[in-house]
Amino acid sequence: MRKFTNLLTKEIKELITLQLVISLLFTVFLFYFIGQMAKSEVKKALRMQKIAVLNLDTSPFSQELIRNLRSGNFEPVLLRVKTKEEAIQQTNSSNMNLLLVIPEGFGQGIEKLELKPVETYTFLRSLSIMANRNAAVFNAVLKLINNYLSNDYLQKQFPELDPNKIKNPIKSRNFVLVKDKMAEGSAEQITGFITSQSLFVPIILMMIIIYSSQMVISAIAMEKQNKTLETLLTVPISRTSIVTAKMMGAAVVGLISAIIYMVGFRYYMAGFMGDVSRAVKASNLSAIIQSLGLALSPNHYLLLGLSLFLAILCGLAMATILGVLAEDYRSAQSLVMPLVFLVLIPYFLSFFSDFRTMSLPAKILVYLIPFSHPFLASQNILLGNYGIVFGGILYMLIFFAVLIFIAARIFSTDKVLTMKLRFRRKKVVL
Amino acid sequence: METILKVQGLRKFYGKLEALQGIDFEVRRGEIFALIGPNGAGKTTTLRIIATLLSPSAGQVSFLGFDLKKNPEKFREKISYLPEEAGAYRNLKGISYLKFMAKFYARSREEVQTYLESAQAIADLGERINEKIGTYSKGMVRKLLLGRVLMTRPALAILDEPTSGLDVINALEVREIIKKFAAEGLSVLLSSHNMLEIEFLSHRVALINQGQILDTGTPAELKSKYQAANLEEVFRRALQ
Ligand SMILES: Nc1ncnc2c1ncn2[C@@H]1O[C@H](COP(=O)(O)OP(=O)(O)O)[C@@H](O)[C@H]1O
Ligand SMILES: [Mg+2]
Repeated sequence: MRKFTNLLTKEIKELITLQLVISLLFTVFLFYFIGQMAKSEVKKALRMQKIAVLNLDTSPFSQELIRNLRSGNFEPVLLRVKTKEEAIQQTNSSNMNLLLVIPEGFGQGIEKLELKPVETYTFLRSLSIMANRNAAVFNAVLKLINNYLSNDYLQKQFPELDPNKIKNPIKSRNFVLVKDKMAEGSAEQITGFITSQSLFVPIILMMIIIYSSQMVISAIAMEKQNKTLETLLTVPISRTSIVTAKMMGAAVVGLISAIIYMVGFRYYMAGFMGDVSRAVKASNLSAIIQSLGLALSPNHYLLLGLSLFLAILCGLAMATILGVLAEDYRSAQSLVMPLVFLVLIPYFLSFFSDFRTMSLPAKILVYLIPFSHPFLASQNILLGNYGIVFGGILYMLIFFAVLIFIAARIFSTDKVLTMKLRFRRKKVVL
Repeated sequence: METILKVQGLRKFYGKLEALQGIDFEVRRGEIFALIGPNGAGKTTTLRIIATLLSPSAGQVSFLGFDLKKNPEKFREKISYLPEEAGAYRNLKGISYLKFMAKFYARSREEVQTYLESAQAIADLGERINEKIGTYSKGMVRKLLLGRVLMTRPALAILDEPTSGLDVINALEVREIIKKFAAEGLSVLLSSHNMLEIEFLSHRVALINQGQILDTGTPAELKSKYQAANLEEVFRRALQ
């Protein structure tokens, strides 16, 4: 036992390198950063949007219209200049990105609904997503104006009718169902919210698996190259202990990575959920998500954490075997490629297609790859499909056990020294 | 003198390649026994089998009366092995590496301490024993590893090409360390492709070529048998 602890301590020490610590800290930071960004974006979206307005019309109607912009969450800033050119210049020198120009005599055509066009100016100050949003803002402004005008017109023509009833005689109430739970709300909002939440699970998972496998492969290949593995195999300790210590060392490091990963993930969710629940009261999104059971509870975190941990273990166990196959440190670098592919397949599939609608062979392929299961779990835990989640966990456990068995076999025979995967480069004969 | 290691009819196949075609030799207590032969002769394969790294395809190996196939753990307790061109964990300090290895053999904390002191005396690295192995020269690493191999006072030390790749001074120091160890009554089995240095180091040698032993004896016996000035000439004549 003392010998085993000695070995295990060495394995863990060897795996916890400065690089690993840095990459884990970076992961947490990344999560935190994204969470904060989401927070500030939500805030921005909720803030009143400033719009510079040049009103060249003198009718009371246009003033009424400008006042009405407030109801659509816009803050009109009236410019006290006389010409369009001056207005453009003034808006440009302020920090506003949007200018609305109401032409002279705009109110005169109101009776017949023959209005002069309004002009909108958008200042592209960057090509970010925010800039893109400005265009959407103007569409909203125009919609608001049109709505206001048509309502006004209908009101005058049919004083006893509600203009909204004329325009939309049929009303709808929208419900969303998740398993046996139901709530009133739009599916679009909810899926949008959930995908925004689970988008980063695959990315970070992919990073961790690839990184930690690379680490293990390199460590073992290094042991082979330095002949320290050869030395270890001749000391009085059982071969099973050597493999188990290697795997357990990797497991401890994997567990630490998974925990840190989950902590980071909580930061991310807190950044997001905190503001959503506070600010989006108007759309009631957080209440809807709660009542549909789509918020992650501590048990859910545990389950997701377990799934992640097992996936990392499988990755590390495969890396251990691949590391033994490597001839030296350099060839180990290319051996990590098959692992990377195995992670990339579920990663891309989770982005580009809906798992439930895949063909059977594709489905089987996805199920067979252990790394698919945390990808599947992150969504299915929310949707309450625990069958897939637990099935995945069981599968990964079995997969891991088989790998340990294979590794123990390799270590207890000649193969640990004689097995090699050579990537022979073809020699060019001149 | 008492025989501690006996190798009989040892054969080893790597797939179709027969790397050892029936090897016989024995090592006695307190002697330095050398396998000498060109690259690819089968020296490393032989040493790896005795060190329990590879399993033989046929033949017998007995050590202190134990059989390799039945009691490999007895071999591991009492044999220390230095692989060819070995290194150590670059991120460990020399002293930490020695401690890590000592813990596999020691039965008490005091024993670990005894091993460490003995290893430090053998390696003779002074204060640099507290620095990371990554900063050591090749000669320093070799001496550290020799310290590791010999500190537990194994009944048999197996050294695969212990001086290869070292400069003259370091090679000399390594040879002195080996001689001193054998003088204390412990046995050494080593290999080399440098036949000239072996003449001054070992008590008995076995000439090995293409998986077969050509001849065995003390350097003096072999030189007079083949009427040669040195072991290199002996080897050339033995080949004919
Ligand atoms: N792992 C291996 N797989 C296949 N052939 C090997 C392996 N190791 C050694 N050999 C072959 O066995 C023969 C003996 O090798 P080796 O024992 O290393 O010789 P030496 O140590 O005397 O230079 C050589 O022909 C070598 O190519
Ligand atoms: Mg060799």
